[in-house]
Amino acid sequence: MYWYHYLGLAALVVFAVAMLWHFLRLIREGNPKDFSKKTGNLVKAEAYAYTTAMMPNHKETAYLHIPTFTAGALFHIGTFISILLFAVFFFISPAQFPLWLSRILTVCILAGAACGTGLLIKRMVVKKMRDLSHLDDYLSNFLTTLFQLFTILYLMLPHMFAPVYYIEVTVLLLYMPIGKLRHVLYFFAARYHLGRFYGWRNVWPPKK
Amino acid sequence: MEKLTTEQIDKALHLLKMRPDSKLETHLNACVHCGLCAESCMYYKTLHDDRYMPARKVELVAALYRKYCTLIGRVAPFLVNARPLDEQMAEEMTDALFGACTMCGRCVKHCSIGVDIAYVVHFGRRMLAAMGLVPATLQATVDAALQTGNNMAIPTADFVDTIQWMEEDLQDECGSEARIPLNETDKNILYTLNPREPKFFPLSIAALAKIFFAAKESWTISTDMYDVTNYGLFSGNNEHAKSIAKRLHDEVFNKHCKILVLGECGHGSRANRWEGPNYLQHSYEFETITAVELINTYIREGRIKLDKSLNQELVTLHDPCNLVRNGGLESELRYTISQSVTHFKEMTPHGIDNFCCGGGGGQLAMSEYNERRIAIGKIKADQIRNTGAKVVVTPCHNCVDQLIQLNNIYKLNVKIKTIAEIVADALVLE
Ligand code: SF4
Ligand code: SF4
Repeated sequence: MYWYHYLGLAALVVFAVAMLWHFLRLIREGNPKDFSKKTGNLVKAEAYAYTTAMMPNHKETAYLHIPTFTAGALFHIGTFISILLFAVFFFISPAQFPLWLSRILTVCILAGAACGTGLLIKRMVVKKMRDLSHLDDYLSNFLTTLFQLFTILYLMLPHMFAPVYYIEVTVLLLYMPIGKLRHVLYFFAARYHLGRFYGWRNVWPPKK
Repeated sequence: MEKLTTEQIDKALHLLKMRPDSKLETHLNACVHCGLCAESCMYYKTLHDDRYMPARKVELVAALYRKYCTLIGRVAPFLVNARPLDEQMAEEMTDALFGACTMCGRCVKHCSIGVDIAYVVHFGRRMLAAMGLVPATLQATVDAALQTGNNMAIPTADFVDTIQWMEEDLQDECGSEARIPLNETDKNILYTLNPREPKFFPLSIAALAKIFFAAKESWTISTDMYDVTNYGLFSGNNEHAKSIAKRLHDEVFNKHCKILVLGECGHGSRANRWEGPNYLQHSYEFETITAVELINTYIREGRIKLDKSLNQELVTLHDPCNLVRNGGLESELRYTISQSVTHFKEMTPHGIDNFCCGGGGGQLAMSEYNERRIAIGKIKADQIRNTGAKVVVTPCHNCVDQLIQLNNIYKLNVKIKTIAEIVADALVLE
């Protein structure tokens, strides 16, 4: 292990502790107490909230915006692969990856990075997006896209890009809990509360 | 806007800092600013003003949260858009949260993440209410309910006159046994009304009374407390909402009734069925159901007989947001309609995806925003026109009011009816 591995590891620990703090705070605050008489099934509603309700044909934010939705999905896939590789790199050096695998991963992550760049440009160019955005939005996208690009470079040229890759990951991991990237946790919490709200009132799952 | 006092600001921030549970915390941290919710909101779709995107409404409250409740917001406010609560912020909040949101929750269902935008908007309204910044017209409606027991300040003598007039009409049609019993005790049902009914639409009371007569129901209306509405839900003042809800709750005991039936009013049903027990901080000791559920049960149990051939015109249904997307009555409504009319056509979209009529969230009470209300109503008007229907049914008197205005302005040439009216038209009296 080199210094940059330790740096990445330390950032990971800080990230984990910070996100755990966010999580524990939500647990401590607990569910809202609801005194009204429940008419639905919370378990089924929660299951629906995390599955069918997320399908593109169930949300206008997906089916009315196919290009953006697809770009967002690919961007997230690229990020998930990059995160997975970050963990794998502690055990297997990219130099040991078979060429075919490196190429497949590169293509997938490159698609994600391209979509991330596209979304960043959209945020800068489209007025309604610009009005909605602030520095955190640009920075979060930029750091994540950069993370994907450095993952590719590290995969292809491990010796040359190892230090810079780990430095970028460190910055990203330290930034995540304070910027909007913490939606990695709050997304699940939001779906939970939504499932609970609609489930309590027998709105979800829908009955036709 | 007048300068905010420290006391006003402190009151609002106290609410924000209290955060009683994880729901608010979650929804103030979850928006990723994808901007995709814009097209789900009638305000943005019609007015094309970026400030009225659902995410921008959340952002107002979230910016305050970051400023006063997060470390990064205090240290680097420019990074995360942490904003202070000042006059400009209060003005923006009033305009967007009171003046450009019906709290319909349509954006919530469609949000990429699942942010409960309407919940955050309501919280923002609570902050404004704590600062005494509820729009004057909406506050006047709440005050009327608090002072007189009904939001239209109808004098009891006038109310009794109207009911007696409706009872005479009913008896002409159904015989002298048909009644609208006032202030009786130990009945099965305490029935409630939207004050718009005695004021403008008394025939809907007669329609429901006819259904009760056919079902041989034991019921009564209290002249002291018959108002199902609760505009405290929209003003954001939970103390006012609690007082209004408590009065209705207590009236069920005063009259020794078993079931509180909420008349055809979306927000009134929501305020009493779902929010009331939370305002009062205890479960209700009696059953609370909506008129829609009650009529549905009568049909399913065979307590009333319907002949749908008596309603031959093409009918469409407007789903009130508070009864359907926020109340779970989508299938109940459709069952009742299917038993009452011959020809029915759904709007596109409908059910939990339906668009608000434009009059929800207290908009009908806030004349300051009338122009916007009518403008966003164009979406509903187009939906109705596209069905080709001659009759629009909706179980909410607020929606009825807005739809009547849309009918006139957008020349839809339709009849607007409540569920009780369309069911009463199909009733077969034995
Ligand atoms: S869709 Fe949801 S996450 Fe996206 S901007 Fe709107 S509120 Fe925020
Ligand atoms: S709750 Fe309804 S009116 Fe308010 S922002 Fe969402 S879609 Fe628009």
